[in-house]
Amino acid sequence: MAEISIRYPALMRSSALAVLAYRGRLVVGFLTDLFPFLLMAVWLTVVATAGPPRGWTAADFVAYYAMAAVLMQLSGQHVVWEWDRDLRSGDLSVRLLRPLHPFHQYVASDLGYRVVSLALFVPGLVLVAVLLPVLTLDLTVTRAALAVPATLLAYLVGVLMASIVALLGFWSTQTTNVWMLFWGLGSFTSGWVAPVELMPGWIEAVAPWLPFFTTLGFPVELWTGRMTESESGVHFVVAVGWALLFAAAYTVVWPRAVRRYQAVAG
Amino acid sequence: MSWRGRAGWSRYPRIILTCWRAAVATELEYRLNFVTGALLSLFWMGWAAAGVAVYFQFAGELVGWTYPELVVVIGLFFTMNGVRQAFLQPNLDAMTEHVRRGTLDFLLTKPVDAQLLVSLRHLYVGNLLDPFLGLGVVAAGVVASGHGMSVVDLAAFVLMFVVAVLVLYALVVALMAVSIRLNGSEEVGQVSFGLVELTRFPVDLYRDPLRTAMTVVPVVLLTTLPAQAVLGRISATSVVVAAGAAAVAVAGASLLWRRALRGYTGASS
Repeated sequence: MAEISIRYPALMRSSALAVLAYRGRLVVGFLTDLFPFLLMAVWLTVVATAGPPRGWTAADFVAYYAMAAVLMQLSGQHVVWEWDRDLRSGDLSVRLLRPLHPFHQYVASDLGYRVVSLALFVPGLVLVAVLLPVLTLDLTVTRAALAVPATLLAYLVGVLMASIVALLGFWSTQTTNVWMLFWGLGSFTSGWVAPVELMPGWIEAVAPWLPFFTTLGFPVELWTGRMTESESGVHFVVAVGWALLFAAAYTVVWPRAVRRYQAVAG
Repeated sequence: MSWRGRAGWSRYPRIILTCWRAAVATELEYRLNFVTGALLSLFWMGWAAAGVAVYFQFAGELVGWTYPELVVVIGLFFTMNGVRQAFLQPNLDAMTEHVRRGTLDFLLTKPVDAQLLVSLRHLYVGNLLDPFLGLGVVAAGVVASGHGMSVVDLAAFVLMFVVAVLVLYALVVALMAVSIRLNGSEEVGQVSFGLVELTRFPVDLYRDPLRTAMTVVPVVLLTTLPAQAVLGRISATSVVVAAGAAAVAVAGASLLWRRALRGYTGASS
């Protein structure tokens, strides 16, 4: 554990430097970030034509989608593409030789990228918030103190979930499509397609218990105050539960997966 | 230059078809991509249609668009995105690669029009079915909307569809010109993705300044106007203006491309 805590900062720094050298990836990241703002625009039209749905005002939607865009930067799903590429090119062989589990190598390098993109994105958002008074979070100290760990848990659950899907690559050669299907279905319960409160009743009922909500809706609703401090307790339990379950599943699957590795093209 | 003579242009369909046949032959090595690509596209179309349904729990129509009518726009979005991914993006990506590696020089020395060769040579089979699936969604939306379709509507739609494809093509050629100027920067390839992504919803659903920007850059021509045409609510003026805009866009992009080539110095030697 002590070893990992030394290696993470070093690996994060090297990936952050790589991001700064190849800025194209950042542009791609920000362009995909357009999407929450498109959904926001449509909801603002809904508010303007039919009144606030279930009490959600224009300001609520602006805050929700601004924070959703930030959380999207922390989705952790990009590791699926890294695993997929390395498995097919045989580059995973090099990673297996390094004295750190590939999972940590991917996560550390992903975190390095996240740090750079958040360092650019969040100040931009703050600037918008200052210029446009419509974006406010009404943060209290306790809520912020809860929202930060909720955000970290969101990343942890997201990256563990993505890594488990990535391990399927040892059995099939294509995992990105599997991940897209999985993510696409999950997006109805995560708060991505629409805030879970505004989804049809049966989705609203099951969503809070699924890991997708942990990765997006949970921290976003805490940041924006849609979820109160006392309401958040049960969601923390669910989040920790999923993190433990996914970590356990990963440790069970990994030894079986790596035994199948054939180093194609290696 | 004799190969630009009137008779010369008739060779182009054959040249492009030969390129496409070669591209398809290569891609058929990965047959599974074709099937999984189509299945995944179907999934995303269902995803988009279901996602949009959420709004209509709260409003019967959004700024004059009912649910089936919005499905028509979604179908057109997938059609245009499919055209982009299957026919245009592979060329734009190859182009940035050509500029960076200097291999563009070899293409420029071939005795054919460089713009046509560079912009239409490659093809990606994984998204080849998307335009057809998208048009299927358009048809479903039109039927569900209960609008009858007259011959005039159909003719207007076909015209606006051609206009949309031409505008998309012009956009990509303009981006290729920018790519030459920026010495093969990869970011350029992503701009087309961002612009097309905006056309998921009809332009009426946005507000200013985005709405005006989308009219000026003409992305409004990609899905909103063809949808209005097929739903029988486009004005004759819009059709004429759109056709004019498409002509201007193609000519302008071609001009940009020529200008960029004049400034191109080659990286291979």
